[in-house]
Amino acid sequence: MKDLNLLQLTEELVEFSLKNGASQVEVSVSQGTNFKVDILQGEIEKLTEAVSKSLGLRIFVEGKVARAGSSDFSRETLQRLIKNAISRAKLSSADSLAGLPEKEPLTVDVSGLKIYDPAILEMPPEKKIAAATKTEEICLADKRIKKTFGSTFSTNIGERYLSNSNGFSGSFKRTSCSCGVYLQAGEGSNLFDEGWYDSSVNLEGLESTETIAKKAVHRVTRLIGGRKVESQNVPVVFEPPMTAEILAFFSTCVDGNNIYLKQSFLAGKMGEKVGNEFVTIIDDGLKIGAPGTEPFDSEGVPLRKTVIVEKGILRNYLMDTYAARKLGMKSTGNSGGPNNLFLAAGQSTPEQIIKSVDKGLYLTGTIGFGQVPTTGDISRGAFGIWIEKGELTYPVSEITISGNLSQLLQGIQMVGKDLQFKNSITGPTIKVAEMTVGGK
Amino acid sequence: MVDRTRRNFLRKSSIGLAATLTSGLWFDMLAKGIISPPSPSLFEERFGVSREDMKKILDIALSKGGEFSELFFEYRVQNSVSMEEDIIKDSTENITLGVGIRVLKGAQTGYGYTDDLSFEKMKQTALTAAAIASGNSKFSIANLTEKSSGLKVYDLNLPMGDVKLDIKVDLVKKAYSAAQAYDKRIIKVQSSLADELQYITIANSDGLIIADARPQTRMVVIATAEEKGVSNTGFKSAGGRVGLDFFKTSETPEYTGRKASEEAISLLSAADPVAGEQPVVLGSRQSGVMIHEAVGHPLEADANWKKTSIMWDKLGTQVANPIVTIYDDPTIPFNRGSYSVDDEGTIPKKKMLIENGKLVGYLQDRLSAKLMKMELDGHGRRQTYRNNPIPRMANTVLAPGNASAEEIIRSVKKGFYAETYQGGQVSDSGKFTFSVNMGYLIEDGKITRPVKNATLIGTNVQILNEVEMIADDTAFFLGSCGKDGQSAAVTAGTPTLKIRKMTVGGRK
Repeated sequence: MKDLNLLQLTEELVEFSLKNGASQVEVSVSQGTNFKVDILQGEIEKLTEAVSKSLGLRIFVEGKVARAGSSDFSRETLQRLIKNAISRAKLSSADSLAGLPEKEPLTVDVSGLKIYDPAILEMPPEKKIAAATKTEEICLADKRIKKTFGSTFSTNIGERYLSNSNGFSGSFKRTSCSCGVYLQAGEGSNLFDEGWYDSSVNLEGLESTETIAKKAVHRVTRLIGGRKVESQNVPVVFEPPMTAEILAFFSTCVDGNNIYLKQSFLAGKMGEKVGNEFVTIIDDGLKIGAPGTEPFDSEGVPLRKTVIVEKGILRNYLMDTYAARKLGMKSTGNSGGPNNLFLAAGQSTPEQIIKSVDKGLYLTGTIGFGQVPTTGDISRGAFGIWIEKGELTYPVSEITISGNLSQLLQGIQMVGKDLQFKNSITGPTIKVAEMTVGGK
Repeated sequence: MVDRTRRNFLRKSSIGLAATLTSGLWFDMLAKGIISPPSPSLFEERFGVSREDMKKILDIALSKGGEFSELFFEYRVQNSVSMEEDIIKDSTENITLGVGIRVLKGAQTGYGYTDDLSFEKMKQTALTAAAIASGNSKFSIANLTEKSSGLKVYDLNLPMGDVKLDIKVDLVKKAYSAAQAYDKRIIKVQSSLADELQYITIANSDGLIIADARPQTRMVVIATAEEKGVSNTGFKSAGGRVGLDFFKTSETPEYTGRKASEEAISLLSAADPVAGEQPVVLGSRQSGVMIHEAVGHPLEADANWKKTSIMWDKLGTQVANPIVTIYDDPTIPFNRGSYSVDDEGTIPKKKMLIENGKLVGYLQDRLSAKLMKMELDGHGRRQTYRNNPIPRMANTVLAPGNASAEEIIRSVKKGFYAETYQGGQVSDSGKFTFSVNMGYLIEDGKITRPVKNATLIGTNVQILNEVEMIADDTAFFLGSCGKDGQSAAVTAGTPTLKIRKMTVGGRK
C-alpha cells in the first residue's frame, strides 16, 4: 500500500507541475528504513532506528532548469516548491541540451537483480546487537589490541520512486547490511588505527563475525612498529581496497561533467591509449546481487554494462543525460555516479605479485586528499609493509606516495585475480612500476 | 566505516549547496518579527507542535528508564544558484524538516528521528529512542522554561534568503566574469552562490527550551586554466554567517573570482615538490587546516573519554612549544563556524585548548562533559535532525606570536612554503596529513618557484613541539569538517608559522 502511495505522489506532482507551466518535470522519492547499533567495550554505545524520506524534483521550462528538494511532505509545501521552481527556472538561461532523458523501455526483471533480501527485514535487533558485540569481543581477546573504537552492525532498506513527464514511472527496493570494527594498536605515541568492515546486499553474503574480527586484528597489528623509510622511487603493490581508492579517483576523472568542463586530464582522450594492456575498467550496473546494482539511475535511465577502458583504450565516460548530450554521446546510466565500477581481474595471485618485487611498498592504507582530476596528480599520506626480495618485511608509516594517474595506468605491470564485488567501486591487487615514496 | 576514525577538513565541500528564491512563508515570518529574535514558537505556529506535546514526548522518551531526553526540531531552507559556460545553469531550493529524539542512559545513547511531526509519529520515535534503557520511568520532567542566547554572531541585516533571485544572479555573474577576464588562459569557470537559514528548537528533560535561527552563505568560484596542453584548476570561496552586505563591504564577488583564476594561472608554472623531510612554512591564509587536524580533532572530548585520542592522558601537561596557544571560539561574529546556541541548546563560549604549550581543555558536548565531569562549553553539534550531536570544532585559532612573516621566510635556507590547500585528515592516533594545492620553494630565505599538489604528513605530538616561529598576521580558512559521517561548517585561523622539520610528499 505504502509503495503505491509514494509512486502515486510522484505522478500527482508531475501532473501538478505540468498544469502550472513546466514543460518537463521529474519527481523522485527516496525512503530509508535504518537500523544501526554501535558497541563500545561490550556495551551498547548507541542505538539508532528511523524511517525517513526525501523528495527531489527537477523542472524544465523551455530548456531552463530549476531543482528543489524536501523532507516536508505536506502538499502545501510541495506545491509551493513546484511553483517557486517554475518561476525560478524562468530566470535561468535557456540550454537546448537540458531536458529529460528520451524514453527507454526498462527491460530488466528487478527481482532477477537480487538486490532485495527479506531476511534483512526479519533479523531481530537482538541478533544484530549480538553480532556487533561478538565481533568486538573476538578482537579484544588479542593482547596486541590496545583500544577499540567499537563495532557496528547496521541494516538499511531503501525504496525509490521516480516519475517523469516523458511517461516514466518506476520503483524498486533494495537492502543492505554491514558489520565492522575499528581498533588501535602500537606502543607509546606510535599508534595505529585500522579495522575492517564488510557489507552485503543479502544477509547470507555478509562475512562472519570471526572473519571480520580476524581481518581487523590483522590489519592493525601488521602496522605495529611502523617507521619511515628514505625517500625513493620504487614499485608499489596496491592491496585491493587501495586499488579501489585509485579507481574512485579514476571515476571522478571519467565523470562526463568533469570531461565537458575540462576538469579532467582525460578530457578529449576518447579512443586514445590511456593505460597499458592490463587495464580494462568496466561499470556494470546490472551485476547480480552487487552493491551498486539497480534497475534505473536517478533520471530513470536503465542501468547497463559499460566498458570504460578496454585493454588500455578509453572507450566511454560515466555520463548522465546532460553530460552525454554535451559530449555528443549517449547516457551510460550514471546520473548517480559509478554503479559497479571495477578493474577487470588478471591472472596473478597476490603472493605472486609480492614475490615479483625486489624492493618496494605494499600499500595498505592512505590518509589525506591530494588527488587532482585536472592533472591526474596523486599525493597522499601512506601506510604499508616494505617489500624486500619478494617478501613482506617491516611496516612503514608516516610516508607519502606521489605519482600521476596517467603514468600509473600506463605503469600497471601485474593484475591480481582477487577481485570481489563487496563495494560499488572495486579492484584486485595490482603492481605499479614506479611511484615516489616520500620519507626521511 | 572509515568515518569512525578519520576526521577531515575539506575546502571544496559546501553548505549542502543546494539554490534560490525565498520560501515565501518563512521569510514573511522573519520580516514580521515572528521568528526574529528566534523563538521556539515557530514549530508551534507553523507545524502545530505545542509545548504541552513536547513535554509529553520528552516524558514518553524517558518511560523506559532513560536519564535524559531531548527533542531537536529543525526546519531549514537552502537556496543556490550556479553559473557555468556563460549561462545561469541551475537553481535549487531545499527544505529539511524533522525532529531527532535522543535518550541518554549512562554512556549509552538511543536515537530516533522522523520527518513527520504528527504526535503519533513523534511518540513512536520517542519509544524507539527510549529502548536504549530498560525499566521504569525514574524521572519526571520539569516545566519547559524558555532561554535565549543573547550572543550576536549572525548578520541578519539583509539575510540572503530575503534577497531577490536577480540580485543573486548578478553576484554570481560578477564573480564569473571577473574570473574569466583575469587571464586569456582561463578556459572554464564555474561560480555559485548558496545560502541557508536553519531554524532549530531544542527542548530537553532538564526543562530547557531554546531556539536559534542561523544564516549561512557561501560563494564559490572554480577556474580552470590551460596552456600548451597543461591544465590546472583553482578554487576560492567566501562567506559566513552573513547577508548581502558581506559581498559589498567584505569580499566582493569580483575578488573571489580573481583569486580562483590567480591560483589556476600560478599552478600552470608549478613544479612537483621535492620529496623528503624539510623545514616547512605555513602561510597565514589557509594553514589553519593544520591547527584543525593536529590540535582540534585530537582534543574533541569523545575521543578522550574513549581514550582513543593520543591526547587523552595529557591534560595539564606540556604538549607543545610554549609559544603555542590555541583556542576554539564559536562566538566570533559572522564567522562561518559560529553559532549562538549549539545543537544541544548550550550557549557556547571561547574554549582554551592549549595555553603556552600546556594542554588545558577538551571540546565538550553534553555526554562527554558528563562522563568526564567537566563543564559544558557549547561544542555539541550535529549535521541535521537525523544525526546525534557529537563534540565538534567551530572556529579554531592559533594565537599570534611575535615574529613577522618576512622574518620567518628569511630564516629558512631551503624549504617548503604552503599557501593553498585541498584539505587535511587525521586519525585518532595523531597521524595527520594536509594536502597542499599550491605552495612555493623557499631558497636562501626567499620564496621562489611555485609547486603543486604536495602532501605534508606528521604526528601531532611531534609537530606541536616543532612549531618554531609564529607571526602576527592571522587569517581564516573556510571549510567543512567531516567526522562520523557528519559534516559541519567550520573555520580555522592561523598566522604564518614555521615547523622545524616535516615530511613533504613529492617527486624524486
